[in-house]
Amino acid sequence: MLNRLHTGKLQQEVLLEVKNLQTHYQTPGGVIRAVDGIDFSIRKGETLGIVGESGSGKSVTALSLLQLLGAQGKSMEGEAIFQSRQLGPINLLKATSQQMRQIRGNEISIIFQEPMTSLNPVYTCGNQVMETILLHRRVSHDEARRQTLALFDRVQLPKPERIFKAYPHQLSGGQKQRVMIAMALSCDPQLVIADEPTTALDVTVQSSILKLMAELRDDINTAVMFITHDLGVIAEVADRVMVMWGGKAVEEADVLDIFSRPKHPYTKGLLACRPRLDMTLKVLPTITDFVALDSSGQLIERPDARYHSVGEALLMNVETTEEINKRHLQVLKNTRPLLEINELKVEFDVSLNPFKRQQGKVTAVDGVSFKVYPGETLGLVGESGCGKTSLGRSILRLMEPSSGEIIFDGQNIRKLSNRDMRLLRRQMQIIFQDPYASLNPRQTIGSAIMEPMQIHKLQQNDKQRRERVMYLLERVGLQPDQYHRYPHEFSGGQRQRICIARTLALEPRFIICDESVSALDVSVQAQVLNLLNELKNDFGLTYIFISHDLSVVKFMADRIMVMQRGKIVETGYPEQMFEHPRDEYTRSLIKAIPRGDLEDIRKAQLARMLARKAG
Amino acid sequence: MLSFVGRRLGYGFLVLLGVVLVVFFLFHALPGDPVSMMAGQRTDVATREAIQKELGLDKPLAEQLKLYMKDLSPLAIHEKGEEAQKKYSYIPLTSVGEEEVLALKTPYLRRSFQSNKEVSEILLENVESTLWLALAAMAFATVLGIVFGVVAALKQNTFADHFIITTSVLGISVPSFVSAIVIAMVFGYYLSDYTGLNLTGQLWVNHPFYGRTLHIENLILPAFTLGLRPLAIITQLTRSSMLEVLSQDYIRTARAKGLRYYRVIGKHALKNALNPVLTAVSGWLASLMAGAFFVELIFDWKGLGFVTLKAVQSLDFPVVMGSTLFIAAIFVVVNIFVDVLYAALDPRVRLNS
Repeated sequence: MLNRLHTGKLQQEVLLEVKNLQTHYQTPGGVIRAVDGIDFSIRKGETLGIVGESGSGKSVTALSLLQLLGAQGKSMEGEAIFQSRQLGPINLLKATSQQMRQIRGNEISIIFQEPMTSLNPVYTCGNQVMETILLHRRVSHDEARRQTLALFDRVQLPKPERIFKAYPHQLSGGQKQRVMIAMALSCDPQLVIADEPTTALDVTVQSSILKLMAELRDDINTAVMFITHDLGVIAEVADRVMVMWGGKAVEEADVLDIFSRPKHPYTKGLLACRPRLDMTLKVLPTITDFVALDSSGQLIERPDARYHSVGEALLMNVETTEEINKRHLQVLKNTRPLLEINELKVEFDVSLNPFKRQQGKVTAVDGVSFKVYPGETLGLVGESGCGKTSLGRSILRLMEPSSGEIIFDGQNIRKLSNRDMRLLRRQMQIIFQDPYASLNPRQTIGSAIMEPMQIHKLQQNDKQRRERVMYLLERVGLQPDQYHRYPHEFSGGQRQRICIARTLALEPRFIICDESVSALDVSVQAQVLNLLNELKNDFGLTYIFISHDLSVVKFMADRIMVMQRGKIVETGYPEQMFEHPRDEYTRSLIKAIPRGDLEDIRKAQLARMLARKAG
Repeated sequence: MLSFVGRRLGYGFLVLLGVVLVVFFLFHALPGDPVSMMAGQRTDVATREAIQKELGLDKPLAEQLKLYMKDLSPLAIHEKGEEAQKKYSYIPLTSVGEEEVLALKTPYLRRSFQSNKEVSEILLENVESTLWLALAAMAFATVLGIVFGVVAALKQNTFADHFIITTSVLGISVPSFVSAIVIAMVFGYYLSDYTGLNLTGQLWVNHPFYGRTLHIENLILPAFTLGLRPLAIITQLTRSSMLEVLSQDYIRTARAKGLRYYRVIGKHALKNALNPVLTAVSGWLASLMAGAFFVELIFDWKGLGFVTLKAVQSLDFPVVMGSTLFIAAIFVVVNIFVDVLYAALDPRVRLNS
């Protein structure tokens, strides 16, 4: 059956043929080769997935094709022949701006990552979609309006008339992305470029948007270039996949082949380092287990590679049922909780109108009770706006709860004076989401890590503190001689390590990790998660691990709480929860996660083939 | 929207009340004897008593404040009778007791010591020329400022950009009385043969044969001088605002639609970039009406600032107080207007929707 699918595809005409595309930037520091000679082609009606981590050049590739990159210091080489309906075969890299305008939005359209900022805030959604139609089609104003409403209906927006008149800020993120999709489809493009279209969305919204895109693609038989960092998403939508690293394509193959028989060690690493739902791993394999850089900066298979295939990497780290049960029993032995939350409530005053104080209240956390035992990791999962961050912050009293009890180590911390609370903060720490924003750019990392020790008068003198900082830097996998460097000299993953070192400086017993790996690439994420687990064992820490990503929480947590609209809807052991979710909401969350297993890919391909036959 | 405006009016009223109190205490509660200050060299008893009676200075401070407030309040209880009616020119509503009547009136700002004219009359006579001056200055500054700002932003880091920015820094830093003198001398004196402009002059001139005639050309130099600083600021504001907007994702979206360059700039960028600029512009209009003092003085332009300065020189307190209040009122009204305008331009601040 698959063979027939292949031959069917081959008969399709090539729509876009890219040869040796190079996009370079001239910077004062030298030439940056953002895209460094890639070749690929997209046939009519085909979906090409481009996967890569940040900085791999995947977005630059897309923007180069549409000549949408900023002009400064940029040069593009190579060719990209596009079969235009109006202009015939044309090299997109050399097309005049007049020709590009005819192609953009009309024959090739693009959906961007951030629906929040990609729509103009001062025009209505209807106006912005209509604009594209009026630009490329000779239709009257009324006809354009009718078509826009039909498009809104097609992308399953509720009440198209209302959306037409609404401004972007009045819609939710998912609705905005639907408007963007409507805009992209408005002129029946031959090629739609989707640049991380679901990355900024919640997992349930992501799955509905992916479903919609797949349906529409089969309906109008348009080619799609789907860019993402998430292999799970790629598995659901792509026919073929190109894996990018450092501006180059490391591997290109059929989606099933990529997942079942990855050839390049980097692809293997990418596949192996994703936290999985179907098995429990002790340690996540990382990309550096598979690949290394040679002297010329090229990616090669690690000579002393520990693993040679994805399966091997997983099997060597899998935790058996016995081990899991033993771990659960260990936690059960603790009778006295480290932290106990009783009926905690956090409310915000909202004032829609700047001149009236208090028009209403929003309850972020609505009477939540739970216990955390020493030495365990409690996972807290939920979608944006469910109150998980408010809960985390109010436990540390970074945010004042409106009612309820927080009992840490036997004392109710809501009754503590500010001074006592400051002392207690030594034992309770938090690691924030954004490692870029939570370090002071003008402070060396050494002094950033030392500062909390000075405030709390830990150690005898600064000399001892400095030694401690060196030790901590080494402990989190950085070099002690980086003490005098500034945050901007580090990558995102390294910065998160610095934040972790700063947290550890106070020798806390309890740490809240608030979306601590959400801003990181999947390979870096695996390393940081492994580090957190290692530190937990070595320092005897207790974590509350907050994340929107169920698979990450599943990897980290001993117990999981699912939060929805300020309430805890389900608590349980991860293994049981994923096999038999009790709550409807948990079930929908689990269902929405893109898994990327072979069975799902086969199903998706079969469905795609049937749809094509019908079309 | 209506309740929004209503509430803003309420706040404006509170602001005005505050201004009244400050002005009142400045002139009455500060150390020194206002009567002898006002009477100046003259020490005759009649003048002193007239001033004392007019301001009610023989009464306690609280009583004085109450009287001043009563004079200002549009709705107040006044005595019945011809004299009071003429003084306040009120419209009686209902009688309160035998002697008094609840009446509606325009705020009574009292009379000038110098000319004995009603202060409101003096203000109204002069507000027109200040208004034209401020409007002309603002129009000139806004139009050119936005053009220069947009050009600088689109040609970022080129010679045109650097030139515009350097010049605008100069425009911001030169004090208006310096630029006023320099401009008046250069264009109104040395080059007056070529420019045909006068050193000083009024918008309306009473000609012996043709009667009252309009002289727009006399507006050029003072308006230009007054507009220089707003021009420089609007240029810089537009440039930075435009640069920020141009780096936004929705500009990329607009380009990805296939729109023409000027349409992307004109439709998608400009409207977003102009919001902060427009607020600044409308705010400036109010302060220009008040801030034209030096320019009016140097160009001998008979407007609010000119009259106020003259009144300060001759210690004509009712005029100074009246014009202060008047300008404060203009500020309040303009600011409400700005808020409404802002809401109309940016749907995100549109209220109750």
